[in-house]
Amino acid sequence: MTKSKTSIFVIPAACAELVSVKAGIFILLFGIFLSATTITAQTKMSTTDADALRKKVKIQAEKTQTVKSDFKQYKHLDFLSNDIESKGKLAFKAPDMVKWEYTEPFAYAILFKNQTLYINDNGNKSNMDLGSNKIFKQLNELITSSIRGDMFDEEQFTIAYFNKDGDSVVHFLPKDEQFAEFIQAFHITFNDTGEVDKVKMIEPSGDYTQILFSNRSLNQTLSDADFAQ
Amino acid sequence: MRILLSSLLFVVVGCASYPVKNGYILTNDRLPAITNPYFSDCSIDYVYKANIEAFDKNFGGILAIKKLGEAHHRLVYTTEMGNTIFDFTFKEEAFKINKILKELDRKILVNILRRDFSALILENPEVEKTFEKEVKMLQNASILNKKHYYFTENGQLLKIIRAKNTTEKVVVLFQQINGNEAKDILIEHKNIKLKINLKAF
Repeated sequence: MTKSKTSIFVIPAACAELVSVKAGIFILLFGIFLSATTITAQTKMSTTDADALRKKVKIQAEKTQTVKSDFKQYKHLDFLSNDIESKGKLAFKAPDMVKWEYTEPFAYAILFKNQTLYINDNGNKSNMDLGSNKIFKQLNELITSSIRGDMFDEEQFTIAYFNKDGDSVVHFLPKDEQFAEFIQAFHITFNDTGEVDKVKMIEPSGDYTQILFSNRSLNQTLSDADFAQ
Repeated sequence: MRILLSSLLFVVVGCASYPVKNGYILTNDRLPAITNPYFSDCSIDYVYKANIEAFDKNFGGILAIKKLGEAHHRLVYTTEMGNTIFDFTFKEEAFKINKILKELDRKILVNILRRDFSALILENPEVEKTFEKEVKMLQNASILNKKHYYFTENGQLLKIIRAKNTTEKVVVLFQQINGNEAKDILIEHKNIKLKINLKAF
């Protein structure tokens, strides 16, 4: 096999991980923020309420040093009889340590630490230097901006705010064409106490992934073991 | 004369087919149908954790396969997070790409995936020849114009091999078999560094 043929596999491999990681970071970032909004009806949110929501998210982000949470994931593919279910836990420590770990029905974890992305696929470990890759540099910037509570970025997303069944639902439509090829929209649902209940990533086909968070704890002391590969 | 005989012997052995090389005897009088039962039930969602090793790189994902009708399957590969990497439909001889990442959309790669997954899911390939060795049976069939050998033992399909002459090119190995379910499947290319490991959810 020639070198040029090799690249066919190498590029997609990195790309596949990138899609997963980008999506994971996005979900995580919303998962770690809290807000307190008052919801009354299933309508488009007023500009005032949307402003208040953004402000509160930013304030909470600044207060958040660590996060621990469980999650359940449901992948919906229209042609399947049932959603594909998996679950796991996530850990975050300011400014930029993040671990997203699936525990059932398979073991798979991605970890951002020290400018490096570590992957542990059921004991099969690999890593990538974030500094050496332009795309991953952008990803790192995304993390940093989110830590500052700056996720409601109108340059990156078309954003719409809704009230639904007592919750706040915020729709994010990626403006980047490459990104929109994978994910047409993110719908983030905040419950009445302002916590993120779920994140829905909708693909252009209409298939989607829904992630539900539970057992969240903030600002607990997290050890190095929580961020081991 | 001796040299001529040696040469003839060399030619005969050199031209031996894959079954003959492996000690199987042609039993062409009997042509039982081949059945690959592992993706044959329309009521089952076949979902696997996948790991692809390609040229010393590893990347994981989830493979979902569903039989939608006779000789009709949908196959989707996503990341662990659920983002679709590729989405194919196999219906009779037809092959449709419903979606594939731009970076993956290379003819050579799509052809490899099409061949591998066709062999994986095809339920009743047409038998061309049958060979036997004790309780083992080897049957060959053509998939996308490539010769494939189906290994069964006591009626259970254990592996499918794509071979050219006597050389194995791709092995599809069904393991941890429970009735019509293979909980562990390995697709291994012998001529390029490509392995696909599948473990049932």
